[in-house]
Amino acid sequence: MQQFFYDAQIRRFLLQFTRIFSGFQIEYANENDGVNAAALIRVPVRYGDATRNAQTIIQENSRNSLPSTPLMTFYITGLDYEQSRMQDPYFVSKINVRQQAYDPATETYETTQGNAFTIERLMPVPFKLTINLDIWTSNTNQKLQLLEQVLTLFNPSLEIQSTDNYIDWTSLSVMYLDRTTWSSRTVPIGTENPIDIATLQFSMPIWLSPPAKVLKLGVIERVIASMYDAQGDLNNAIDNEDLLMGTRQVITPFDYAAVLIGNKLQCLQQQYLSQEPGNDTLTPTDIVPDSNLLWPAVIDLYGSLRPGISQIRLIQPDETEIVGTVALDPNDDRFLLFNVDIDTTPQNTLDPIDAVINPLTAGPQDGLDSAVDGQRYLLTEDTGSLDNSNPATAWVGANGRGLVAQANDIIQYSNNYWRVVFRAATETNTTQYVTNLTTSIQYRWIGDAWVKSYQGAYPGGTWRIVL
Amino acid sequence: MVNPKYYKYTMPRLSLYRPNRTRDYQFLDRTIREMYTVGGLDIYIHRYMGPQAGGNDSTLSGNFDATQPTYADVDVLNIQDLLLLENRDRIYDPDVYVMRGVYNTQDVDFDLTQFGLFLNNDTIFMTFHYNTMIDTFGRKLMNGDVIEIPNLTDYHPLNQNIPRALPRYYVIQDADFASEGFSQTWLPHLWRVKCTPMKDQQEFNTITNKPFVAENIWDPGNFYPTGSIVNYGDTYYQAQSNVPADTDITNTTFWQEYTPSTISDVQGTREKDYEINDAILAQADAEVPLSGYDNQTFYIEPTINGEPANPTNITADETITVDGTQGGMSVTPSGEGYAAGYLTGGGTAPNGLPVTSAVNFPPNPVAGTYVLRLDYKPNRLFRYDGARWVKVDDKVRTNLNNGPTNKTLRSGFVNNTATVNTKDLGNIPSRQSLSEILRPRADNGDQGGFLPPGT
Repeated sequence: MQQFFYDAQIRRFLLQFTRIFSGFQIEYANENDGVNAAALIRVPVRYGDATRNAQTIIQENSRNSLPSTPLMTFYITGLDYEQSRMQDPYFVSKINVRQQAYDPATETYETTQGNAFTIERLMPVPFKLTINLDIWTSNTNQKLQLLEQVLTLFNPSLEIQSTDNYIDWTSLSVMYLDRTTWSSRTVPIGTENPIDIATLQFSMPIWLSPPAKVLKLGVIERVIASMYDAQGDLNNAIDNEDLLMGTRQVITPFDYAAVLIGNKLQCLQQQYLSQEPGNDTLTPTDIVPDSNLLWPAVIDLYGSLRPGISQIRLIQPDETEIVGTVALDPNDDRFLLFNVDIDTTPQNTLDPIDAVINPLTAGPQDGLDSAVDGQRYLLTEDTGSLDNSNPATAWVGANGRGLVAQANDIIQYSNNYWRVVFRAATETNTTQYVTNLTTSIQYRWIGDAWVKSYQGAYPGGTWRIVL
Repeated sequence: MVNPKYYKYTMPRLSLYRPNRTRDYQFLDRTIREMYTVGGLDIYIHRYMGPQAGGNDSTLSGNFDATQPTYADVDVLNIQDLLLLENRDRIYDPDVYVMRGVYNTQDVDFDLTQFGLFLNNDTIFMTFHYNTMIDTFGRKLMNGDVIEIPNLTDYHPLNQNIPRALPRYYVIQDADFASEGFSQTWLPHLWRVKCTPMKDQQEFNTITNKPFVAENIWDPGNFYPTGSIVNYGDTYYQAQSNVPADTDITNTTFWQEYTPSTISDVQGTREKDYEINDAILAQADAEVPLSGYDNQTFYIEPTINGEPANPTNITADETITVDGTQGGMSVTPSGEGYAAGYLTGGGTAPNGLPVTSAVNFPPNPVAGTYVLRLDYKPNRLFRYDGARWVKVDDKVRTNLNNGPTNKTLRSGFVNNTATVNTKDLGNIPSRQSLSEILRPRADNGDQGGFLPPGT
């Protein structure tokens, strides 16, 4: 069995129809006659097709009751389907709305966001509603007074609303005055003097609608597809002029340098670049305190920075790019927060190291933690010698096993002694990547030395902004 | 040829016809009068006296003209409206005449078809003794006279709180000599009237506007229980408590002036029609309090340069719950956003944010402040964006009831109580009929000028 639904859609139009004709007045008696107190009276409006029971109650179940005039009554004379207004019956309109939060305790809406919904509305059905309005008057003068007031409403029509709900797309209709029947009397008057009825016929194009669907609003939190190029590469797609995103501006402003310090980017004029360590060293970059160059001053020359969307691209020696989205540091306008796209960074080829150390000045339990299995260090100096019968005691393992390593080697503690796991002297033709867990800096092996992988300074021409 | 000597024996020509009211007529007339006295019933008659004299009806609508003359006296010969040929404001004799009449009782259906709402099928024919009518009434009964038939009085209306029985009123529609009232002399003795039920209408207002209470003339020697209603002259009084004998009617401890309901109030249907109408209006007002659409409960996301500003620096990757403490929460929406549409301007700020109503912009505003300028028609809502006041919307939603709260264009012309100051006539009404506009009128002193300044 179908579920019951009824929204009183026609009834609500009848309510508003009544309202349109309510409140009109007529002269009912002489003002200064000394007998009658009121010169104007309001003309009531009500539904004309009363049941016998209701009408009997209104008239006190007595023939002696006096029906009062003037009076306006109305009744429906037609409700016809309008083929000409039919539209796609299968169309479903969707509207997404967010409501203010509602406090049931105070029964008021608050200024913060509340529920969010998606509303689905099925195409309503068009009908033409025809209503007759009878104007009951006891003399022609009353009729003229009423008609003059009422008829100025329709030029040529009057809007009528069944509800003020923003979502209800069927609530607004319009009333057309189709025809006026001047009088129900015979002219000239016959043997009696009945109450006169002038009839106005109105038509309204209305819509009858089934219930709507209310769904919880689905929010797209992250776009995964449709932003990649044919090869599935987002960053290439952004630069691709054939794609939508290719309309972005690509800028290297004023030959300024950019320095990546951890997850922050500082913008520097060229003269300050000398204060930064070279990329061919393992020394971490640091803030240049003397520089007061602010990112907004740079970016505003070209457009607006869109936090989390705008990119900065760091060009590598091999012409690949490290890409990251940026947002202005809320605490210091000299810096951008650089959120690197890890897909653009080189993958480590070696297990991470715990630190970069000088084995001649530090060792386990001597400036470093006690030796633990799996500990890995990158050495900046040679230590030990095959010719040396007394190995460096700091790096001696079980059974007096010494360590012999050279600068740039990576050593690891396992099985209770230290051993070389990356021997630089034999890796002259390879490229390796490893991350320092202490500084989170990734290093690249270029055959004869370790250098910073992508952290570091980028002189003008080696980085660019994509707004 | 007839011999003349027989003439003296020729009987006079037989003829019951009498051109004059002879003794035969008198005999028959007295007999008929007696028959009506014996067999008829009392009929109460409200005598139509003529249209209102000295009234000023037409000036209310500014259409006074020669076709609606102002008569000096109430006269049955007068016609109130010489164009439409109507007597709308009728005066009835305050005295009630009593005559014996005869009518045939009949069964009447309570017909509620469209034109039966007013019981037009209840038509009765009643006859009166002609000469009694002339002697008692002073003239023949005519169209417009109202009769009250006492044997049809309804003592048991549905509402048992009605203070007295409901009389049955009829209006005479037609009158002439009754065909059954011609005697052998061919002279008429009866007057026949055709009557239909009286309605509660303007024409009979002097009847229906009378108090609907039982006549109870105050007697100072009587004891009156609480709630008693008496009349002293034309004034009614109600007992506030038990009134001892010999209490003066002016003693306000016991008596208070009382305005009784009228016949129209009780016996007419207008009051019930008003109740029905008002109930419909209340519901209609609840369903559509203002024109257009209510978007005040929707939440509009504040934005800066097209990006969400509320809250700032939070991305979809973060798991922070937005609780109003994040940056950007103080940013206000610049408009109605997705909730903008046809007739949505209500003069209120998005998200229920506070609005200052003023006739000028406040000094030193804070960015995001809303101001509703009341000196704009319609009122206009502005938002300060840090550099300038930007229009948000116009307050175009309005109450739809006919009356001064309705701010539609048409209503602005109809419900206009404003006045215009003049040099010679004081304040004259701003609202004037086009046909009479700016014409000097003799009654300006009463209606057209020297009015208190309007709004």
